[in-house]
Amino acid sequence: MSDVDTRHDEAGADEPPERTPHRVRRALLVIAPFWGLGSFFAAWELYVRLADVRPLTLPLPSSILRHIIENPGFYWEHGLVTVQEAFWGFWLAFFAAVLVATAMAHSRFVERATLPVIVLTQSTPVAVLVPVFVLWFGFSPWPKILTAALFAWIPFVANALTGLRSIDEDTHELLRSVNASRWEVYWRLRVPQSLPYLFSAARICIGLALVGAVIGEFFNSSEGLGNTARVAQSRLLVDQLWGSVFVLAFIGVVFVLVLIAVERRVLRWHSSQDLI
Amino acid sequence: MTNRTNGAPVAESTKGIRFDAVSKWFRRKDQAVHALSRVSLDIAEGEFVSLIGPSGCGKSTLLRLTGGLLLPDRGTISVRGEAPAEARRLKHYSFIPQQPALLPWRTVRQNVSMLGQLNRRAGVAGISAEAQLELLEHIGLGAFVDSLPKELSGGMQQRVSIARAFALGAPLMLMDEPFSALDEITRADMRYLLLDLWGQAGCTVVFVTHSIPEAVVLSDRVVVLGARPGRIIEVIDVDIPRPRHEDVEDSDAYHEVVARVRAALKEGSAPR
Repeated sequence: MSDVDTRHDEAGADEPPERTPHRVRRALLVIAPFWGLGSFFAAWELYVRLADVRPLTLPLPSSILRHIIENPGFYWEHGLVTVQEAFWGFWLAFFAAVLVATAMAHSRFVERATLPVIVLTQSTPVAVLVPVFVLWFGFSPWPKILTAALFAWIPFVANALTGLRSIDEDTHELLRSVNASRWEVYWRLRVPQSLPYLFSAARICIGLALVGAVIGEFFNSSEGLGNTARVAQSRLLVDQLWGSVFVLAFIGVVFVLVLIAVERRVLRWHSSQDLI
Repeated sequence: MTNRTNGAPVAESTKGIRFDAVSKWFRRKDQAVHALSRVSLDIAEGEFVSLIGPSGCGKSTLLRLTGGLLLPDRGTISVRGEAPAEARRLKHYSFIPQQPALLPWRTVRQNVSMLGQLNRRAGVAGISAEAQLELLEHIGLGAFVDSLPKELSGGMQQRVSIARAFALGAPLMLMDEPFSALDEITRADMRYLLLDLWGQAGCTVVFVTHSIPEAVVLSDRVVVLGARPGRIIEVIDVDIPRPRHEDVEDSDAYHEVVARVRAALKEGSAPR
Protein backbone atom coordinates (compact mmCIF):
# COMPACT_ATOMS: atom_id res chain seq x y z
CA MET A 1 0.00 0.00 0.00
CA SER A 2 1.20 3.51 -0.70
CA ASP A 3 1.14 6.28 1.88
CA VAL A 4 -0.52 8.76 -0.41
CA ASP A 5 -4.03 9.60 0.68
CA THR A 6 -6.30 9.20 -2.33
CA ARG A 7 -9.60 9.63 -0.53
CA HIS A 8 -11.95 12.36 -1.62
CA ASP A 9 -14.07 12.86 1.47
CA GLU A 10 -12.63 16.27 2.36
CA ALA A 11 -13.34 19.63 0.77
CA GLY A 12 -13.78 19.53 -2.99
CA ALA A 13 -15.41 16.14 -2.70
CA ASP A 14 -15.90 14.16 -5.87
CA GLU A 15 -19.67 14.12 -5.98
CA PRO A 16 -22.01 12.69 -8.55
CA PRO A 17 -23.25 15.23 -11.09
CA GLU A 18 -26.56 17.04 -10.74
CA ARG A 19 -29.51 14.72 -11.40
CA THR A 20 -32.32 17.03 -12.44
CA PRO A 21 -31.70 17.23 -16.21
CA HIS A 22 -31.62 13.46 -16.29
CA ARG A 23 -34.98 13.23 -14.53
CA VAL A 24 -36.57 15.71 -16.90
CA ARG A 25 -35.33 13.74 -19.86
CA ARG A 26 -36.77 10.56 -18.39
CA ALA A 27 -40.16 12.17 -17.85
CA LEU A 28 -40.15 13.38 -21.45
CA LEU A 29 -39.40 9.88 -22.64
CA VAL A 30 -42.35 8.53 -20.68
CA ILE A 31 -44.69 11.15 -22.09
CA ALA A 32 -43.48 10.86 -25.69
CA PRO A 33 -45.67 7.93 -26.85
CA PHE A 34 -48.85 9.56 -25.50
CA TRP A 35 -47.86 12.87 -26.99
CA GLY A 36 -47.33 11.23 -30.39
CA LEU A 37 -50.63 9.40 -30.29
CA GLY A 38 -52.50 12.48 -29.09
CA SER A 39 -51.00 14.64 -31.85
CA PHE A 40 -51.99 12.11 -34.48
CA PHE A 41 -55.66 12.15 -33.49
CA ALA A 42 -55.67 15.91 -32.87
CA ALA A 43 -54.29 16.49 -36.37
CA TRP A 44 -56.93 14.16 -37.81
CA GLU A 45 -59.72 15.91 -35.92
CA LEU A 46 -58.46 19.35 -36.94
CA TYR A 47 -58.01 18.42 -40.57
CA VAL A 48 -61.55 16.98 -40.88
CA ARG A 49 -63.07 20.02 -39.18
CA LEU A 50 -61.05 22.71 -40.99
CA ALA A 51 -61.08 21.13 -44.45
CA ASP A 52 -64.74 20.22 -44.00
CA VAL A 53 -64.24 16.60 -45.15
CA ARG A 54 -67.43 14.63 -45.77
CA PRO A 55 -68.03 12.11 -42.93
CA LEU A 56 -68.42 9.36 -45.54
CA THR A 57 -64.83 9.95 -46.65
CA LEU A 58 -63.34 10.38 -43.21
CA PRO A 59 -65.35 10.82 -40.02
CA LEU A 60 -64.17 12.69 -36.95
CA PRO A 61 -62.22 10.52 -34.52
CA SER A 62 -64.35 11.99 -31.76
CA SER A 63 -67.55 10.82 -33.39
CA ILE A 64 -66.10 7.34 -33.96
CA LEU A 65 -65.20 7.18 -30.28
CA ARG A 66 -68.68 8.39 -29.34
CA HIS A 67 -70.22 5.63 -31.44
CA ILE A 68 -68.12 3.01 -29.68
CA ILE A 69 -68.95 4.36 -26.24
CA GLU A 70 -72.66 4.44 -27.07
CA ASN A 71 -72.66 0.81 -28.27
CA PRO A 72 -70.39 -1.01 -25.83
CA GLY A 73 -72.33 -4.30 -25.91
CA PHE A 74 -72.24 -4.45 -29.69
CA TYR A 75 -68.46 -4.04 -29.91
CA TRP A 76 -67.82 -6.26 -26.91
CA GLU A 77 -69.84 -9.09 -28.40
CA HIS A 78 -68.27 -8.93 -31.86
CA GLY A 79 -64.83 -8.13 -30.54
CA LEU A 80 -64.92 -11.20 -28.33
CA VAL A 81 -65.72 -13.41 -31.34
CA THR A 82 -62.76 -12.06 -33.31
CA VAL A 83 -60.45 -12.25 -30.31
CA GLN A 84 -61.34 -15.89 -29.73
CA GLU A 85 -60.72 -16.83 -33.33
CA ALA A 86 -57.41 -14.98 -33.38
CA PHE A 87 -56.43 -16.40 -29.99
CA TRP A 88 -56.91 -20.04 -30.97
CA GLY A 89 -55.36 -19.43 -34.37
CA PHE A 90 -52.34 -17.84 -32.68
CA TRP A 91 -51.74 -20.78 -30.36
CA LEU A 92 -52.45 -23.34 -33.05
CA ALA A 93 -49.79 -21.69 -35.20
CA PHE A 94 -47.40 -21.47 -32.25
CA PHE A 95 -47.58 -25.12 -31.28
CA ALA A 96 -47.53 -26.37 -34.86
CA ALA A 97 -44.49 -24.18 -35.59
CA VAL A 98 -42.56 -25.26 -32.49
CA LEU A 99 -43.32 -28.91 -33.21
CA VAL A 100 -42.22 -28.69 -36.84
CA ALA A 101 -39.17 -26.54 -36.02
CA THR A 102 -38.12 -29.01 -33.32
CA ALA A 103 -38.21 -31.87 -35.79
CA MET A 104 -36.33 -29.76 -38.34
CA ALA A 105 -33.68 -28.64 -35.87
CA HIS A 106 -32.90 -32.24 -34.97
CA SER A 107 -32.68 -33.77 -38.40
CA ARG A 108 -31.13 -32.42 -41.57
CA PHE A 109 -33.31 -34.80 -43.57
CA VAL A 110 -36.53 -33.56 -41.99
CA GLU A 111 -35.35 -29.99 -42.50
CA ARG A 112 -34.64 -30.47 -46.19
CA ALA A 113 -37.87 -32.38 -46.71
CA THR A 114 -40.01 -29.83 -44.88
CA LEU A 115 -38.47 -26.65 -46.20
CA PRO A 116 -40.13 -26.73 -49.66
CA VAL A 117 -43.54 -27.16 -48.05
CA ILE A 118 -42.89 -24.21 -45.77
CA VAL A 119 -41.69 -22.07 -48.66
CA LEU A 120 -44.85 -23.09 -50.49
CA THR A 121 -47.06 -21.88 -47.63
CA GLN A 122 -44.92 -18.77 -47.44
CA SER A 123 -45.29 -17.78 -51.07
CA THR A 124 -48.94 -18.73 -51.49
CA PRO A 125 -51.32 -15.85 -50.75
CA VAL A 126 -52.97 -17.88 -48.03
CA ALA A 127 -56.14 -15.80 -48.00
CA VAL A 128 -57.17 -17.68 -51.11
CA LEU A 129 -57.49 -20.80 -48.97
CA VAL A 130 -60.31 -19.34 -46.89
CA PRO A 131 -63.03 -20.55 -49.32
CA VAL A 132 -61.48 -24.01 -49.05
CA PHE A 133 -61.75 -23.88 -45.27
CA VAL A 134 -65.34 -22.71 -45.59
CA LEU A 135 -66.01 -25.66 -47.87
CA TRP A 136 -64.58 -27.99 -45.23
CA PHE A 137 -65.96 -26.53 -42.03
CA GLY A 138 -68.92 -24.44 -43.15
CA PHE A 139 -70.32 -21.91 -40.75
CA SER A 140 -68.23 -22.93 -37.72
CA PRO A 141 -65.39 -20.85 -36.18
CA TRP A 142 -62.86 -23.23 -37.75
CA PRO A 143 -62.37 -21.46 -41.10
CA LYS A 144 -61.53 -18.28 -39.18
CA ILE A 145 -59.25 -20.03 -36.70
CA LEU A 146 -57.42 -21.83 -39.50
CA THR A 147 -56.97 -18.63 -41.48
CA ALA A 148 -55.61 -16.87 -38.39
CA ALA A 149 -53.26 -19.81 -37.77
CA LEU A 150 -52.09 -19.84 -41.37
CA PHE A 151 -51.24 -16.15 -41.22
CA ALA A 152 -49.33 -16.49 -37.94
CA TRP A 153 -47.63 -19.72 -38.91
CA ILE A 154 -44.86 -18.36 -41.11
CA PRO A 155 -43.13 -15.96 -38.69
CA PHE A 156 -43.48 -18.51 -35.92
CA VAL A 157 -41.93 -21.40 -37.80
CA ALA A 158 -39.14 -19.28 -39.28
CA ASN A 159 -38.17 -17.79 -35.91
CA ALA A 160 -38.59 -21.03 -33.98
CA LEU A 161 -36.25 -22.74 -36.40
CA THR A 162 -33.66 -19.98 -36.17
CA GLY A 163 -33.95 -19.93 -32.39
CA LEU A 164 -33.69 -23.67 -31.89
CA ARG A 165 -30.74 -23.87 -34.30
CA SER A 166 -28.72 -20.88 -33.16
CA ILE A 167 -27.22 -22.37 -30.05
CA ASP A 168 -23.87 -21.31 -28.74
CA GLU A 169 -21.27 -23.88 -29.84
CA ASP A 170 -19.14 -23.56 -26.69
CA THR A 171 -22.17 -24.10 -24.47
CA HIS A 172 -23.30 -27.03 -26.57
CA GLU A 173 -19.87 -28.59 -26.25
CA LEU A 174 -19.93 -27.99 -22.50
CA LEU A 175 -23.20 -29.86 -22.22
CA ARG A 176 -21.86 -32.65 -24.41
CA SER A 177 -18.78 -32.93 -22.19
CA VAL A 178 -20.99 -34.35 -19.44
CA ASN A 179 -22.90 -36.42 -21.99
CA ALA A 180 -26.13 -34.46 -21.68
CA SER A 181 -28.92 -36.12 -23.65
CA ARG A 182 -30.58 -34.55 -26.68
CA TRP A 183 -33.60 -34.00 -24.51
CA GLU A 184 -31.54 -32.11 -21.93
CA VAL A 185 -29.87 -30.03 -24.63
CA TYR A 186 -33.32 -29.27 -26.02
CA TRP A 187 -34.97 -28.14 -22.81
CA ARG A 188 -32.01 -26.53 -21.10
CA LEU A 189 -30.35 -24.90 -24.07
CA ARG A 190 -32.37 -24.82 -27.29
CA VAL A 191 -35.75 -23.82 -25.87
CA PRO A 192 -34.56 -20.97 -23.62
CA GLN A 193 -32.24 -19.77 -26.37
CA SER A 194 -35.15 -19.58 -28.82
CA LEU A 195 -37.42 -17.57 -26.51
CA PRO A 196 -36.24 -14.14 -27.73
CA TYR A 197 -36.91 -15.26 -31.30
CA LEU A 198 -40.35 -16.60 -30.39
CA PHE A 199 -41.26 -13.41 -28.58
CA SER A 200 -40.35 -11.21 -31.51
CA ALA A 201 -42.35 -13.53 -33.77
CA ALA A 202 -45.27 -13.33 -31.35
CA ARG A 203 -45.36 -9.54 -31.62
CA ILE A 204 -45.88 -9.81 -35.36
CA CYS A 205 -48.19 -12.79 -35.06
CA ILE A 206 -50.68 -11.06 -32.78
CA GLY A 207 -51.41 -8.65 -35.61
CA LEU A 208 -51.33 -11.38 -38.25
CA ALA A 209 -53.72 -13.64 -36.32
CA LEU A 210 -56.17 -10.75 -36.07
CA VAL A 211 -55.81 -10.08 -39.79
CA GLY A 212 -56.46 -13.76 -40.48
CA ALA A 213 -59.55 -13.84 -38.28
CA VAL A 214 -60.95 -10.69 -39.90
CA ILE A 215 -60.34 -11.97 -43.44
CA GLY A 216 -62.03 -15.22 -42.48
CA GLU A 217 -64.99 -13.19 -41.27
CA PHE A 218 -65.15 -11.23 -44.52
CA PHE A 219 -65.73 -14.46 -46.40
CA ASN A 220 -68.29 -16.11 -44.24
CA SER A 221 -69.57 -14.96 -40.93
CA SER A 222 -72.50 -13.37 -39.20
CA GLU A 223 -70.44 -12.06 -36.32
CA GLY A 224 -67.03 -10.65 -35.46
CA LEU A 225 -65.50 -7.30 -36.25
CA GLY A 226 -64.66 -8.32 -39.82
CA ASN A 227 -68.35 -8.95 -40.31
CA THR A 228 -69.46 -5.70 -38.65
CA ALA A 229 -67.04 -3.78 -40.88
CA ARG A 230 -68.25 -5.52 -44.04
CA VAL A 231 -71.91 -4.96 -43.21
CA ALA A 232 -71.20 -1.32 -42.32
CA GLN A 233 -69.46 -0.80 -45.64
CA SER A 234 -72.39 -2.20 -47.65
CA ARG A 235 -74.88 -0.07 -45.71
CA LEU A 236 -72.69 3.04 -45.54
CA LEU A 237 -72.61 2.99 -41.72
CA VAL A 238 -69.39 5.00 -41.57
CA ASP A 239 -69.21 5.22 -37.78
CA GLN A 240 -69.65 1.47 -37.39
CA LEU A 241 -67.04 0.77 -40.08
CA TRP A 242 -64.50 2.99 -38.38
CA GLY A 243 -65.62 1.80 -34.96
CA SER A 244 -64.73 -1.75 -35.99
CA VAL A 245 -61.34 -0.53 -37.16
CA PHE A 246 -60.71 1.31 -33.89
CA VAL A 247 -61.75 -1.62 -31.70
CA LEU A 248 -59.55 -3.99 -33.74
CA ALA A 249 -56.61 -1.63 -33.37
CA PHE A 250 -57.29 -1.37 -29.66
CA ILE A 251 -57.40 -5.16 -29.29
CA GLY A 252 -54.11 -5.48 -31.14
CA VAL A 253 -52.44 -2.86 -28.98
CA VAL A 254 -53.71 -4.40 -25.73
CA PHE A 255 -52.41 -7.83 -26.66
CA VAL A 256 -49.04 -6.50 -27.76
CA LEU A 257 -48.74 -4.59 -24.47
CA VAL A 258 -49.59 -7.73 -22.50
CA LEU A 259 -46.99 -9.60 -24.52
CA ILE A 260 -44.36 -6.95 -23.84
CA ALA A 261 -45.09 -7.17 -20.11
CA VAL A 262 -44.69 -10.94 -20.18
CA GLU A 263 -41.56 -10.63 -22.30
CA ARG A 264 -39.98 -8.26 -19.81
CA ARG A 265 -40.39 -10.78 -17.05
CA VAL A 266 -39.44 -13.88 -19.01
CA LEU A 267 -36.52 -12.34 -20.92
CA ARG A 268 -35.07 -10.40 -18.01
CA TRP A 269 -31.76 -12.11 -18.80
CA HIS A 270 -31.70 -11.05 -22.44
CA SER A 271 -29.88 -7.97 -23.71
CA SER A 272 -32.98 -6.90 -25.68
CA GLN A 273 -34.55 -5.91 -22.35
CA ASP A 274 -31.73 -3.62 -21.25
CA LEU A 275 -32.52 -0.34 -22.95
CA ILE A 276 -36.27 -0.15 -22.56
CA MET B 1 -11.07 -51.99 -26.20
CA THR B 2 -7.71 -53.06 -27.59
CA ASN B 3 -4.83 -50.89 -26.49
CA ARG B 4 -1.48 -51.78 -27.99
CA THR B 5 2.04 -50.48 -27.88
CA ASN B 6 4.31 -52.55 -30.05
CA GLY B 7 1.92 -55.44 -29.64
CA ALA B 8 2.10 -55.43 -25.84
CA PRO B 9 -1.11 -54.82 -23.90
CA VAL B 10 -1.34 -51.52 -22.11
CA ALA B 11 -1.92 -51.55 -18.36
CA GLU B 12 -5.64 -50.77 -18.23
CA SER B 13 -5.45 -49.82 -14.57
CA THR B 14 -3.79 -46.45 -15.23
CA LYS B 15 -5.68 -43.54 -13.70
CA GLY B 16 -4.25 -41.06 -16.13
CA ILE B 17 -4.63 -40.47 -19.85
CA ARG B 18 -2.81 -42.44 -22.52
CA PHE B 19 -2.56 -41.52 -26.20
CA ASP B 20 -1.21 -44.24 -28.41
CA ALA B 21 -0.26 -43.25 -31.98
CA VAL B 22 -3.36 -41.09 -32.37
CA SER B 23 -4.04 -39.64 -35.83
CA LYS B 24 -6.87 -37.47 -36.99
CA TRP B 25 -7.86 -36.12 -40.39
CA PHE B 26 -10.48 -33.53 -41.22
CA ARG B 27 -12.18 -33.47 -44.58
CA ARG B 28 -12.51 -29.99 -46.06
CA LYS B 29 -14.33 -30.29 -49.35
CA ASP B 30 -12.26 -32.85 -51.29
CA GLN B 31 -9.11 -32.42 -49.25
CA ALA B 32 -8.14 -34.46 -46.23
CA VAL B 33 -6.34 -32.20 -43.74
CA HIS B 34 -3.97 -34.04 -41.46
CA ALA B 35 -4.84 -32.56 -38.07
CA LEU B 36 -2.80 -34.89 -35.88
CA SER B 37 -0.10 -37.37 -36.77
CA ARG B 38 0.79 -40.32 -34.53
CA VAL B 39 0.56 -38.57 -31.19
CA SER B 40 1.65 -40.69 -28.25
CA LEU B 41 1.65 -39.29 -24.74
CA ASP B 42 1.05 -40.40 -21.17
CA ILE B 43 -0.46 -38.06 -18.65
CA ALA B 44 -0.30 -39.17 -15.04
CA GLU B 45 -3.14 -38.82 -12.58
CA GLY B 46 -3.11 -35.41 -10.92
CA GLU B 47 -0.72 -33.99 -13.48
CA PHE B 48 -1.12 -30.55 -15.03
CA VAL B 49 -0.19 -30.68 -18.71
CA SER B 50 -0.32 -27.81 -21.19
CA LEU B 51 -0.64 -28.20 -24.93
CA ILE B 52 0.96 -25.30 -26.75
CA GLY B 53 1.56 -24.58 -30.39
CA PRO B 54 0.71 -22.38 -33.35
CA SER B 55 -2.82 -22.30 -34.71
CA GLY B 56 -3.55 -25.34 -36.80
CA CYS B 57 -1.29 -27.59 -34.71
CA GLY B 58 -4.25 -29.63 -33.54
CA LYS B 59 -4.07 -28.74 -29.85
CA SER B 60 -7.81 -28.13 -29.59
CA THR B 61 -8.41 -31.29 -31.62
CA LEU B 62 -6.28 -33.26 -29.17
CA LEU B 63 -8.32 -31.83 -26.29
CA ARG B 64 -11.59 -32.81 -27.97
CA LEU B 65 -10.27 -36.30 -28.67
CA THR B 66 -9.39 -36.59 -24.98
CA GLY B 67 -12.91 -35.55 -24.02
CA GLY B 68 -14.55 -37.96 -26.43
CA LEU B 69 -16.10 -35.06 -28.35
CA LEU B 70 -14.23 -36.29 -31.45
CA LEU B 71 -13.12 -39.78 -32.40
CA PRO B 72 -9.58 -40.58 -33.59
CA ASP B 73 -9.11 -42.04 -37.07
CA ARG B 74 -6.07 -44.09 -36.04
CA GLY B 75 -4.63 -45.09 -32.68
CA THR B 76 -6.27 -45.33 -29.30
CA ILE B 77 -6.92 -43.09 -26.32
CA SER B 78 -7.53 -44.43 -22.87
CA VAL B 79 -8.81 -42.30 -20.02
CA ARG B 80 -8.64 -43.90 -16.60
CA GLY B 81 -8.70 -47.20 -18.42
CA GLU B 82 -11.80 -46.33 -20.43
CA ALA B 83 -12.48 -45.10 -23.92
CA PRO B 84 -13.11 -41.31 -23.87
CA ALA B 85 -16.75 -41.76 -24.87
CA GLU B 86 -17.30 -44.02 -21.89
CA ALA B 87 -15.46 -41.61 -19.57
CA ARG B 88 -17.79 -38.89 -20.82
CA ARG B 89 -20.80 -41.04 -20.05
CA LEU B 90 -19.44 -41.46 -16.50
CA LYS B 91 -18.99 -37.67 -16.19
CA HIS B 92 -15.24 -37.91 -15.71
CA TYR B 93 -14.67 -34.54 -17.38
CA SER B 94 -15.01 -30.92 -16.39
CA PHE B 95 -14.74 -28.75 -19.45
CA ILE B 96 -13.78 -25.07 -19.50
CA PRO B 97 -14.40 -23.67 -22.97
CA GLN B 98 -12.75 -20.65 -24.55
CA GLN B 99 -15.76 -18.41 -23.88
CA PRO B 100 -17.37 -18.47 -20.43
CA ALA B 101 -20.41 -20.14 -22.09
CA LEU B 102 -22.71 -19.32 -19.19
CA LEU B 103 -26.41 -19.81 -19.71
CA PRO B 104 -27.61 -16.18 -19.73
CA TRP B 105 -31.01 -17.02 -18.21
CA ARG B 106 -29.46 -18.68 -15.18
CA THR B 107 -28.00 -16.84 -12.21
CA VAL B 108 -24.37 -17.39 -11.20
CA ARG B 109 -25.43 -19.94 -8.60
CA GLN B 110 -27.69 -21.76 -11.08
CA ASN B 111 -24.93 -21.84 -13.67
CA VAL B 112 -22.49 -23.32 -11.21
CA SER B 113 -24.89 -26.09 -10.22
CA MET B 114 -25.91 -26.91 -13.79
CA LEU B 115 -23.42 -29.62 -14.76
CA GLY B 116 -24.37 -31.67 -11.70
CA GLN B 117 -28.00 -31.70 -12.84
CA LEU B 118 -27.28 -33.07 -16.31
CA ASN B 119 -26.88 -36.75 -17.20
CA ARG B 120 -28.12 -37.87 -13.79
CA ARG B 121 -27.69 -41.52 -14.72
CA ALA B 122 -23.93 -41.14 -14.15
CA GLY B 123 -24.67 -40.42 -10.48
CA VAL B 124 -22.25 -37.48 -10.36
CA ALA B 125 -24.07 -34.56 -8.78
CA GLY B 126 -20.97 -32.51 -7.95
CA ILE B 127 -20.30 -30.69 -4.70
CA SER B 128 -23.13 -29.65 -2.38
CA ALA B 129 -24.98 -26.36 -2.70
CA GLU B 130 -23.21 -25.02 0.40
CA ALA B 131 -19.84 -26.01 -0.99
CA GLN B 132 -20.73 -24.23 -4.24
CA LEU B 133 -21.48 -21.06 -2.31
CA GLU B 134 -18.20 -21.39 -0.42
CA LEU B 135 -16.38 -21.85 -3.71
CA LEU B 136 -18.00 -18.72 -5.16
CA GLU B 137 -17.17 -16.84 -1.97
CA HIS B 138 -13.58 -18.05 -2.18
CA ILE B 139 -13.07 -16.78 -5.72
CA GLY B 140 -14.55 -13.38 -4.88
CA LEU B 141 -18.04 -13.80 -6.30
CA GLY B 142 -19.87 -14.02 -2.99
CA ALA B 143 -21.79 -10.82 -3.70
CA PHE B 144 -22.87 -11.99 -7.14
CA VAL B 145 -24.36 -15.44 -6.57
CA ASP B 146 -27.81 -14.27 -7.66
CA SER B 147 -26.63 -12.03 -10.49
CA LEU B 148 -27.27 -12.77 -14.12
CA PRO B 149 -24.24 -13.29 -16.38
CA LYS B 150 -24.90 -10.07 -18.30
CA GLU B 151 -24.37 -8.15 -15.06
CA LEU B 152 -20.80 -9.46 -14.74
CA SER B 153 -17.55 -8.40 -16.39
CA GLY B 154 -15.75 -10.77 -18.76
CA GLY B 155 -13.24 -11.74 -16.08
CA MET B 156 -15.99 -12.47 -13.55
CA GLN B 157 -17.87 -14.55 -16.10
CA GLN B 158 -14.77 -16.63 -16.70
CA ARG B 159 -14.43 -17.10 -12.93
CA VAL B 160 -17.96 -18.47 -12.87
CA SER B 161 -17.03 -20.81 -15.70
CA ILE B 162 -14.06 -22.06 -13.66
CA ALA B 163 -16.20 -22.43 -10.54
CA ARG B 164 -18.74 -24.40 -12.57
CA ALA B 165 -16.01 -26.81 -13.68
CA PHE B 166 -14.64 -27.33 -10.18
CA ALA B 167 -18.15 -27.66 -8.73
CA LEU B 168 -18.61 -30.85 -10.72
CA GLY B 169 -15.61 -32.38 -8.95
CA ALA B 170 -14.64 -34.47 -11.96
CA PRO B 171 -11.24 -36.22 -11.92
CA LEU B 172 -10.24 -34.72 -15.29
CA MET B 173 -10.30 -31.12 -16.32
CA LEU B 174 -10.12 -30.03 -19.95
CA MET B 175 -9.46 -26.38 -20.68
CA ASP B 176 -9.50 -24.86 -24.14
CA GLU B 177 -7.66 -21.51 -24.03
CA PRO B 178 -9.94 -20.41 -21.19
CA PHE B 179 -8.19 -17.08 -20.64
CA SER B 180 -7.57 -16.02 -24.22
CA ALA B 181 -10.50 -13.60 -24.32
CA LEU B 182 -9.37 -11.73 -21.20
CA ASP B 183 -7.18 -8.67 -20.85
CA GLU B 184 -3.58 -9.26 -19.79
CA ILE B 185 -3.98 -8.18 -16.15
CA THR B 186 -7.08 -10.26 -15.50
CA ARG B 187 -5.44 -13.10 -17.31
CA ALA B 188 -2.40 -13.08 -15.04
CA ASP B 189 -4.64 -13.12 -11.94
CA MET B 190 -6.60 -16.01 -13.33
CA ARG B 191 -3.52 -18.26 -13.51
CA TYR B 192 -2.99 -18.17 -9.78
CA LEU B 193 -6.68 -18.55 -9.05
CA LEU B 194 -6.65 -21.67 -11.18
CA LEU B 195 -3.53 -23.01 -9.44
CA ASP B 196 -5.15 -22.38 -6.09
CA LEU B 197 -8.33 -24.29 -6.99
CA TRP B 198 -6.43 -27.07 -8.71
CA GLY B 199 -4.20 -27.47 -5.64
CA GLN B 200 -7.30 -28.18 -3.57
CA ALA B 201 -9.05 -30.40 -6.11
CA GLY B 202 -6.04 -32.41 -7.26
CA CYS B 203 -7.56 -33.35 -10.62
CA THR B 204 -5.71 -34.11 -13.83
CA VAL B 205 -5.63 -31.10 -16.14
CA VAL B 206 -5.13 -30.81 -19.89
CA PHE B 207 -4.74 -27.13 -20.66
CA VAL B 208 -4.66 -25.75 -24.19
CA THR B 209 -3.03 -22.36 -24.60
CA HIS B 210 -0.95 -20.28 -26.96
CA SER B 211 0.64 -18.29 -24.16
CA ILE B 212 4.09 -19.48 -23.15
CA PRO B 213 4.11 -17.77 -19.70
CA GLU B 214 0.73 -19.27 -18.91
CA ALA B 215 1.84 -22.77 -19.89
CA VAL B 216 5.05 -22.55 -17.84
CA VAL B 217 3.51 -21.04 -14.71
CA LEU B 218 0.72 -23.59 -14.59
CA SER B 219 2.12 -26.88 -15.81
CA ASP B 220 4.10 -29.88 -14.67
CA ARG B 221 4.86 -30.54 -18.31
CA VAL B 222 4.47 -28.48 -21.46
CA VAL B 223 3.72 -30.38 -24.65
CA VAL B 224 4.92 -28.37 -27.64
CA LEU B 225 3.05 -29.13 -30.85
CA GLY B 226 3.90 -28.29 -34.44
CA ALA B 227 1.57 -27.78 -37.36
CA ARG B 228 0.91 -29.43 -40.73
CA PRO B 229 0.55 -32.13 -39.68
CA GLY B 230 -0.13 -31.57 -36.00
CA ARG B 231 2.47 -33.50 -34.02
CA ILE B 232 4.43 -33.43 -30.77
CA ILE B 233 7.73 -31.56 -31.13
CA GLU B 234 8.92 -31.85 -27.58
CA VAL B 235 7.63 -32.51 -24.08
CA ILE B 236 9.28 -30.15 -21.61
CA ASP B 237 9.34 -30.73 -17.85
CA VAL B 238 8.75 -27.67 -15.70
CA ASP B 239 10.93 -28.13 -12.62
CA ILE B 240 9.57 -25.27 -10.60
CA PRO B 241 8.47 -26.17 -7.07
CA ARG B 242 4.85 -25.78 -6.03
CA PRO B 243 2.93 -23.96 -4.70
CA ARG B 244 3.74 -21.29 -7.25
CA HIS B 245 2.97 -17.61 -6.74
CA GLU B 246 3.42 -14.45 -8.77
CA ASP B 247 7.13 -14.26 -7.94
CA VAL B 248 7.68 -17.43 -9.96
CA GLU B 249 7.67 -15.26 -13.05
CA ASP B 250 10.81 -13.48 -11.81
CA SER B 251 12.80 -16.68 -11.17
CA ASP B 252 15.63 -17.99 -13.34
CA ALA B 253 14.07 -21.44 -13.52
CA TYR B 254 10.95 -19.91 -15.05
CA HIS B 255 12.89 -17.94 -17.65
CA GLU B 256 14.92 -20.98 -18.56
CA VAL B 257 11.80 -23.08 -19.23
CA VAL B 258 10.19 -20.24 -21.17
CA ALA B 259 13.29 -20.10 -23.38
CA ARG B 260 13.17 -23.87 -23.98
CA VAL B 261 9.49 -23.76 -24.91
CA ARG B 262 10.13 -20.87 -27.26
CA ALA B 263 13.01 -22.73 -28.91
CA ALA B 264 10.86 -25.82 -29.35
CA LEU B 265 8.05 -23.76 -30.88
CA LYS B 266 10.55 -22.24 -33.31
CA GLU B 267 11.81 -25.67 -34.26
CA GLY B 268 8.24 -26.81 -34.86
CA SER B 269 7.47 -23.93 -37.19
CA ALA B 270 10.71 -24.27 -39.20
CA PRO B 271 10.06 -25.39 -42.79
CA ARG B 272 10.70 -29.06 -43.27
